Amino acid sequence: MMARRITKLAAPLIVVLLGVAPVVAQTPAPPKTSQCTVPPDLIASDPTLPGLAKRFHDRQPVVIVAIGGASTAGVAAGGPASAYPQRLQEALARRHPGIPITVINKGVPRETTRDMIQRFAADVLAAKPNLVIWETGTVDAVRAVEVDEFATALEEGITALRAGGAAVMLVNMQYNPSLASVIDFGPYLDALDRAADLDDVYLFDRYQIMRYWTDNGRFNVVDVPHSKQAALAGEIYRCLGETMAGAIDRAAR
Amino acid sequence: MDVHAPTAEAATTPQRGAVKTERDLRLDFFRGLSLFFIFIDHVPGNLLAYATFHGVAFFDAAEVFIFISGFTAALVYGRSLMRNGALLATAQIYRRVWQLYVAHIFLFVIFVAEVSYSVLVVQNAMYVEEMRVANFLETPHLAVIRALLLNFQPQFLDILPLYIVLLAGFPLVLLGLRVHRLLPFAISGILYGATLFWGWTPHTYPAGAPWFFNPLAWQFLFVTGATAGFSRVTGIWPFPSRQWFRVLAVGVAGFCTLVSLDWTIHWLYDPFPLFLAKQLWMHTLDKTNLAPLRLVDFLAFAAATMIFVRSDSRLLRMNGARPLIVCGQHSLQVFCLGIVLAVLGHFILSEFDGRVLMQLVVNLVGFAAMIGLAYLLEWYKVAVRQASGTRAATSALE
Repeated sequence: MMARRITKLAAPLIVVLLGVAPVVAQTPAPPKTSQCTVPPDLIASDPTLPGLAKRFHDRQPVVIVAIGGASTAGVAAGGPASAYPQRLQEALARRHPGIPITVINKGVPRETTRDMIQRFAADVLAAKPNLVIWETGTVDAVRAVEVDEFATALEEGITALRAGGAAVMLVNMQYNPSLASVIDFGPYLDALDRAADLDDVYLFDRYQIMRYWTDNGRFNVVDVPHSKQAALAGEIYRCLGETMAGAIDRAAR
Repeated sequence: MDVHAPTAEAATTPQRGAVKTERDLRLDFFRGLSLFFIFIDHVPGNLLAYATFHGVAFFDAAEVFIFISGFTAALVYGRSLMRNGALLATAQIYRRVWQLYVAHIFLFVIFVAEVSYSVLVVQNAMYVEEMRVANFLETPHLAVIRALLLNFQPQFLDILPLYIVLLAGFPLVLLGLRVHRLLPFAISGILYGATLFWGWTPHTYPAGAPWFFNPLAWQFLFVTGATAGFSRVTGIWPFPSRQWFRVLAVGVAGFCTLVSLDWTIHWLYDPFPLFLAKQLWMHTLDKTNLAPLRLVDFLAFAAATMIFVRSDSRLLRMNGARPLIVCGQHSLQVFCLGIVLAVLGHFILSEFDGRVLMQLVVNLVGFAAMIGLAYLLEWYKVAVRQASGTRAATSALE
């Protein structure tokens, strides 16, 4: 599982086991300024995105392509206009006024990692992106694609995107407390984490971030009346877009 | 557990016809340990999973469980074959298959209850894609048929169907062992190789329901265990046992352990350097088809364990080992309870509190329940034996 996530979770355990006073292990409470805040240790600072940093620094246009599934397409919130790539573009524009920043949404529901790679040439690399945000793993876990096949496809996809001249940011699955008993995300989360680690790819840990929001009562994703679901999804996608903009800025330094 | 169950109950000293019957506690101990690890690994997000086999090896508890099951099956039914003939031994095996099948259906019903609850509670458009997996609720008639045909294997219900299929084919293995002690091993090895080479998978109906454990690959581990276990019947050890082989096994197991340990530390603590991960990690992932790296590490590990932990080892007589041994002696019931507890534990961790302290509580309560059940069954077995012993005053059974 996630290296950083586990370090954070395991630290109190280790402290307790060692009999050390648990005071040192306390993580500082996050500022309650916004619904979207996450503890800084959920946002990785490495690997960095030097190419993007240079473009921000030189004030050159930035093109980002987000490829993924239904949650990238924004189906639950009504479409791409309310999806996280749109929110990411708005947040980045606020952070870098004057630099033209485009985030292209290429989310298509119900595709495995292997399916998405087939679309890379036409949908992703044709736009000559500086950064590709690749949201994947959900459908592979749902269809129980063999984990080694999933990892092999990830590896191939990362290589293909890099060969096309783009930096890569991986995004893992959405979190929901009741899903883990229905779908075994564990091995796929591990595979994403490890493939990112071995290939030195930035991983945006959407799963843990959404888990943090759920566990801390920021969003109630369980008992939602049907009429309010689209609005809630839109809120969560907005938070994801803003958090992702922060993550990109942190890595593009 | 009844006497036909493939436990190590009937383990004998290697000499054929030896009168003294002594149980090899190593089998019970490691089977008990693998039951605990299966429970731990089935609670999603459980931090203790780092302390199970796959934290220090390329394989995990499934390999241990299947190998020991093959070993004890050969030992118990092999003796029956020699004493009672093929027909009765086969009948005994199928009696066990039936027990396993009933247990599987029992677990399926519990699982459906839990998943139905989760799916119906989470009626949220954001998770529609993810929830598609639960579409068996839309076609319950197909789901039930698939479960009865062992084709419906969500994450908690994958080992028993494998075990059932392997045991159902076991009479053939026994007959092969009687012809030559290495005949089933050779055939099984060829089948394993062909399965890996041509990518064979079992045909399922309706289509699209893969077996998490491909039985065509995993049969090799079961038969290898059986080949080793049959040596307790014939008194002839079928595999090499010379010094060079021991050194090789210990070397391979030690190497794999060091590499796995390095990875585990790195995944826990990022700055720790990785060693050989780029080359080997991908080759340890294919659990479905029992990746060769997993198999080789497991066999080396098993051989090294046999070298370092003798059957009369003091380790097995320690008080701390006793609960594991008792659990291993009642493996089917403890396994089923472990699966149910994992489902419950996950429910508690996800619905109420998933933090480290709660994880510790869930793990400890789970262990206590499994040990409690095992001791209860052990007490029952002894009590029934004593009761029937006093009734038939002349009983020479014990």
